[in-house]
Amino acid sequence: VNPFSVLDVDETAGDDAVRAAYLEAVRRHPPDRDPEGFQRIRSAYDAIRDAERRLAHRLFGPPPLDRLEDLLALLSTERHYVGPDIWLDVLRRHRS
Amino acid sequence: MAKHSKSSGRSAASTITLDPAVCRTRIETYWSNGKTRDALDLAKDFLKATGTAEAEGLVLDAYEAHTRALLAKRMYSEARNLASTVIERFRRARDRFTPLVRQAEILAAGDIQSLLAERDTATCSRRLELEAMLTREVRDPRAIAESETLREDDALRKAARTVCHLFGAVTAGPVPAEALAPLSSIPRHSPLAPWKLLIRAIAAYYRRDDASVLANVSAMPEDCGPAPLAAALGVLTADVAAASDRARTPEVNNLLHRVSGGQALRQLHATRLVRALAARDQARATLSLQELLPHLRLCSPSIRQTALTTVIHHWTALGLSPDPLLRALLRDNRDLDGLRFAALILERHGEWPDAVLAWDGYRAAAVRAGALPPAGPEMSRLLLHMTELFPSAPADILNEFDAESEEELQAKVRSGELPECMDPGHLLARARAAEPSRAVFRAMVDHYDQRDPKTAEAEAEAWRRAHPRDLEPILYLIRAAERRGAIQKALAALADAEAIDQVNPEVRRSRFRLLLVSAEQHIKDARPDLAERDLDRLAREPAADEGDTSAYLLVLRWAVERTRGNATAATEIEDGLTARTGNPGLAHLIMTAVATSFGLEEMVNRFQIPSQVQSVEALARAGALFRKLGRALFVAPEFAARVERDMSGVSTPHLHALCEVGLAIGRYSLTYAASGEGLARGTTLVHRFLLARGRALRMATTHREHERAERCFRAARELAGRARDLEAVREASVALKQIAAEADVFGFEGRFFGDGAPPTPEEIVRLVVEERSRRDVPPFAVSPARRRRRKRAKQQRLFDDFMASLEKDL
Repeated sequence: VNPFSVLDVDETAGDDAVRAAYLEAVRRHPPDRDPEGFQRIRSAYDAIRDAERRLAHRLFGPPPLDRLEDLLALLSTERHYVGPDIWLDVLRRHRS
Repeated sequence: MAKHSKSSGRSAASTITLDPAVCRTRIETYWSNGKTRDALDLAKDFLKATGTAEAEGLVLDAYEAHTRALLAKRMYSEARNLASTVIERFRRARDRFTPLVRQAEILAAGDIQSLLAERDTATCSRRLELEAMLTREVRDPRAIAESETLREDDALRKAARTVCHLFGAVTAGPVPAEALAPLSSIPRHSPLAPWKLLIRAIAAYYRRDDASVLANVSAMPEDCGPAPLAAALGVLTADVAAASDRARTPEVNNLLHRVSGGQALRQLHATRLVRALAARDQARATLSLQELLPHLRLCSPSIRQTALTTVIHHWTALGLSPDPLLRALLRDNRDLDGLRFAALILERHGEWPDAVLAWDGYRAAAVRAGALPPAGPEMSRLLLHMTELFPSAPADILNEFDAESEEELQAKVRSGELPECMDPGHLLARARAAEPSRAVFRAMVDHYDQRDPKTAEAEAEAWRRAHPRDLEPILYLIRAAERRGAIQKALAALADAEAIDQVNPEVRRSRFRLLLVSAEQHIKDARPDLAERDLDRLAREPAADEGDTSAYLLVLRWAVERTRGNATAATEIEDGLTARTGNPGLAHLIMTAVATSFGLEEMVNRFQIPSQVQSVEALARAGALFRKLGRALFVAPEFAARVERDMSGVSTPHLHALCEVGLAIGRYSLTYAASGEGLARGTTLVHRFLLARGRALRMATTHREHERAERCFRAARELAGRARDLEAVREASVALKQIAAEADVFGFEGRFFGDGAPPTPEEIVRLVVEERSRRDVPPFAVSPARRRRRKRAKQQRLFDDFMASLEKDL
């Protein structure tokens, strides 16, 4: 989500550094092999490609997601394996 | 005995029947409806009323049914107390109720082993009862798997071992689907059947197949032993319907927290918010947002900002009120982000004065907190953003603050009646002080261009000094000098622009425009040599060969020769002009217009008489030429009338040019006729002809024609959108706004007809057919330009001879 994190570039980086980071990221995620990854990188680059956009990003925040439903993907939960006991604890407590 | 409101039972007693068969039927009806308490009350009233042995039997049946109902509801102590009381009152029922007391005690103690032991030797019906109890009571399958009561090879015990193994596996790590195959051997009526469903649901949860989770969970009985885990899975998968808001136990919260990494409730509230917004349910959306906000605060700033910006964006797009959104955000978060989001909400809802104030509040707070440097690009950009929120028309700003003039607005700011941030000029000055960027200078020049041209020029000069390689301020200074008639100053600025970029298209256009003005000025000043020098320089410009421009320049050379008094050279040029244009009508129109502007109209010789087609084409081409050069075209009414009579031989682009000529010279009947002819052709320019038709009709004097104009504009906008002619879309939208504003003035509430919805294709076709079949010419108002021209009788006389010969030709 954070374009600086996606491109692995410092928030104070200039145009050249951002472009170099973009090209490096595209090399790692070429559009033919990883279209989703490439799209993510492309969107990140579009958001911070020049000083004006980086400034707007810092001042006014990221652009909104086009679809409201994408909010759920943004906030989607991690799913950790915790073993059976934590699950069964719920039922033991319920009995008492 | 448990306390119970006997209202329903007493009500039954008030209509107590003494017929045992009827009473039993009513009691059985209560049982079938699950109302065992009411059945018991009725039976007790019946016993009281009759005192028969049959009634006592009925009461005992009712007591047993109610005791079993309490057991099913896990109200074990209540069931035991009830059964004990029955034994005390009805000694002969001891054998019947003692097992129930024992069963209640076993269940209260969670003694699964006793149930298993009894199941082994029970009758078929009792066995079913016991298995139903086991289904409700088994909260850990190990109790069966490790039971010493059951034989090693007991099917239930073997199934329990499978359940224990797979439950441990699916909660500890990824499990392939085929590993769950042994669950299929557990029958649906088994006490372990809910566990089978639970294991499948958990496995589906970890492979993110939430639909399968919900399918399995919804098949589990509500009162089964593992049911609380079904509810927890509902929360984990953000299943709004399944997730209950009842207070959760610490164990449930621990499970949710550990499994979801602390995000389960965030996802649940986000799902509720998305669904509420999709349903445009503002109250539920507000509630869900309030519940979601504390969870968002725990997210990374990037996720939080994207989430809130998205919510604000879609909230606004749905047209919901901003107030609950503001309250929720400001209540949750009074820090800088809260202020920033409040400003964004107001901005997106078009509340520009409040948005500017909110941004100013954010600016001050951010500077105080050290989050925003008081100078530099960020501050400059923020102040510039604030000025961008103001309406573009100065009058709209003045209206908002009840000020009559810029001076009054500034006086209000100086006196403190309005905050400083309400003066865009003040904000721009601060933005420039923070960082004199191009964007700020551009905004400065734009701002003062309409208000104070001198200041605008001074800002453009400052821009030029701050960014010496920028063409934009120099081009502005050229235009400004040109507007004031300071051609030499404009030419000096042009030299600076050419030193930066000689081939820039805008620089070249400026050069052509300035040389043309300079040449015309020199002719007016009777300085033919200087004019000729300008014309020589103009001839070297690529634009000199575009369209009929060369003909115009040739006529300027004619004016130079006339100024010199060189009649021979002038006549040669006149002779060559018809050849250059290929149309004697066009030659005459250009010559007349130029000669009139220099007071040389008496020196124009007669041209060859043009045909009807040539006349129409001449007017179209002259209109396009004079429009491109920004010069006024004079057309004699008779000439225009002749053109209006028959346009059949002219090309479609020329027809469109005629529409524009009619509007430019204030002869709306010409536009009306040309657009009608264009509509009859059914070309791809239909939207353009509808637009022209609407413009002409707008100038008519009757209300009915104004309604037609609005229909034409709306159809033109629709068709232009489909043809991707964005310029026409914009022009039609502007025209519609103007017509709505005029309607407001006259009290027509901004619209003459219709509901504002875009016209359908069928409506557009009907309109085009209707418009092209109209032969009547509406009464048009006389334009100010035409009124002025009426005074120019001298010019009119020039055409008299020419038109007389035309009429003779006709």
